[in-house]
Amino acid sequence: MSAQILDAIDHLGVYQVYTGGGTGTGFLIDATHLVTNSHVVSPYRTVAVEMRDRTRILGTVRRVHPQRDLAVVELSRPVDGAVLPLSDIEQYRPKQPVHILGFPVGLPLSLTEGVISHPRQLLDEQYFLQTDAAINPGNSGGPMLDDEQRIIAVTTCKLNEADAVGFGIPVADVRRFVEEFRAQSVPFGVQCPACDELIAKATRYCPSCGSNLDTRDDFKEFFHTPDAHPVADFVERALAKANVDPVLARHGDLNWSFYNGSAPIKVWCCCSDHLNFSSRLAQPGKRGLNDLFRFLLSAEHAPFFFDLAGSTIRMNLVIHMSDVFTPAEHDDLVERVGRFITKADSADNLLIKTYGCLPAPETQTDFLDAPAHENA
Amino acid sequence: MSITSLYLPAPVRRQFAHTPRDHARRDRAVEMFESGERLAAIGESIAYLIPGMATPDLVREPLCLVQGSARVRLHVDGDRFYLSAVLATLTPDSNATAALRHFVSSVAATGQLYQPRLRDDVVALEYSDRVALMHPLKLIELLQTTAKEASGHDAWLVDSFGVEASDREPIAPLAADEFDAACAIWDAHWAATEDMLDELRRRRSTALLNTIAAYANSQIEYALPLYGSLREDLSDADDVYADREEHPTKRQAALAQCVKEMRQRSRDELARCLGHARYAINPLHDGSPSLLTKVLSGAQRDQTIGDLNAAGRTLESALYQAVDYLYLLAYFAWPAAIAAALREPLDLASGRPLREAADVMRAHATNLVRAHGGEDDDERDEPADADTAGATR
Repeated sequence: MSAQILDAIDHLGVYQVYTGGGTGTGFLIDATHLVTNSHVVSPYRTVAVEMRDRTRILGTVRRVHPQRDLAVVELSRPVDGAVLPLSDIEQYRPKQPVHILGFPVGLPLSLTEGVISHPRQLLDEQYFLQTDAAINPGNSGGPMLDDEQRIIAVTTCKLNEADAVGFGIPVADVRRFVEEFRAQSVPFGVQCPACDELIAKATRYCPSCGSNLDTRDDFKEFFHTPDAHPVADFVERALAKANVDPVLARHGDLNWSFYNGSAPIKVWCCCSDHLNFSSRLAQPGKRGLNDLFRFLLSAEHAPFFFDLAGSTIRMNLVIHMSDVFTPAEHDDLVERVGRFITKADSADNLLIKTYGCLPAPETQTDFLDAPAHENA
Repeated sequence: MSITSLYLPAPVRRQFAHTPRDHARRDRAVEMFESGERLAAIGESIAYLIPGMATPDLVREPLCLVQGSARVRLHVDGDRFYLSAVLATLTPDSNATAALRHFVSSVAATGQLYQPRLRDDVVALEYSDRVALMHPLKLIELLQTTAKEASGHDAWLVDSFGVEASDREPIAPLAADEFDAACAIWDAHWAATEDMLDELRRRRSTALLNTIAAYANSQIEYALPLYGSLREDLSDADDVYADREEHPTKRQAALAQCVKEMRQRSRDELARCLGHARYAINPLHDGSPSLLTKVLSGAQRDQTIGDLNAAGRTLESALYQAVDYLYLLAYFAWPAAIAAALREPLDLASGRPLREAADVMRAHATNLVRAHGGEDDDERDEPADADTAGATR
């Protein structure tokens, strides 16, 4: 079974979901919809979904069940990943094998295995499928499969204070959630945590059961635009100005990652003082290193700089946090970020063609010889 | 041979002046910056960083900050601020490729605001930005980090890569009697550390390894005005043997190797790496009453010393306490009275039987905290890793 999944792993409709809060996993239920956890998308109504070729497409959250921790995301275009079927078996036995697909700690799609420790574990007034398979941050929202490659649960959480105690949302609940979504008439709705009623707009009390929804942050947050952190606000403004979709670039809290042409670009705060832009471009060749290093250290690159991190040449820009909090100068900084993004895309080609470097593993080599790239 | 006493010599290194910064000046600089007085804010920031200095005007006159053997040059031209500190000049005879690799991997990759830049054959740490973007907090960080980096590697670069030192500030050599005293400290310190290593091999105690590692580095740091390649080599070794995340066997081997190498250093090499340097920006952090309390008191410290004494482990007890004093003296600047009070127990303990030395230092710690300790400083100027940088806890 594992070998079969691994053989076909690149074709499975299981994708990484990115938001400004973190990353998780989602799986296709048809060509344009995927299911993930509510806590993966929360509190965002738009997310990014990364395809296997590292391109990202926009996803719009259509339905959320905060209590059952499920969400449906509609993709901006159809994708051709294989849709894994939802199992129609209601009863599973302890010790039955479980195969978990997901993106643990941001790694590429991975398979972990274990067994069902308890098929119907009661926890916080809900039933879960308990497993001993390794579950890590990033696995959330991914499918748990049986030996027949049928989805038997959706990965949701684990006990941090224990080893090998992970939980999945039973497939019966997932199926019901998907069926209700198929019958949904409003573009977006959040299910009442108490009675499951679908609610399409902000309200204090559930119109069906009267529960006070003001006390439920996991409900309320979907109806309010998240407060943008000043750093996030600055970065996303700069990205938008450079024609990079900030939603697609989000990669967790104060982290962004995207490609510009062939250049992979990451943005993050390494400490409370610095905002870093960095692009892993190339690896030094074996000859002509003196010339290469002279080029990398040349004063002409300021305010950008190159460094050698292990065996990878990176191009970097460091912005001091005090600059981010000096809004009067943002136009200058936004322009600087734009130049960095443009230059990163052309720099790898230069390093490879002029200085005999090799493409970095992260570089999108397909783009290196593209005409537009040549002209950059 | 069993160890019967500790070697805790008086320092040859001159005491750094205790010049607490006036944090109100920094706040004033921020206010100036935010109200649009950007040039004035630069002057105020520098004056905050270097207490006692007249507020500079970088438009009228460039400023050169002497930091050990480094010269950190600042000026404003039009609407731009410039900082530069030359590191080295590449020469035909130097191992230029290795030097450039060092700059691009070890200096650039630290991700600081300053960066090594190459102009012709001269490598300098540089930073430039519009005056409008020189926020005081950014400028202060930039000056502190650049000064530290620029003054830390010059002689090491020359020794390691054969590059030429350029635009360096000469360092005053030690007087003959100071040099003799420094050599005596050097020899006796490493001999004492070697004896401790033998003791460590018998005891196989990680706690003792931690204490000896802290002693090996902090006593040299405190007692000798060391700079250049020797200091850099010691720092590299310390990175391994003092690293508590590292396996104890590897740490012990690194310490043994360091002791062996240091004992083989020639007098000429010592002479090249010893001298009294000037520092515009105090390289030490200002000590504070709360730091004294934190390091020299506390239930855990009392418990540890009590347990060691009760178990008759007098070497560990005495060394554990000595290291605390050495740490405070090596890495922090103190008012003269407190510096003397910190030095006194070391004078009394040096050469004395271990039990007596331990008791003397313990009694002094209690008195010191009572007289000079305190809690809740508003602005403690100490490193983030102050509790582990040199002290054993």
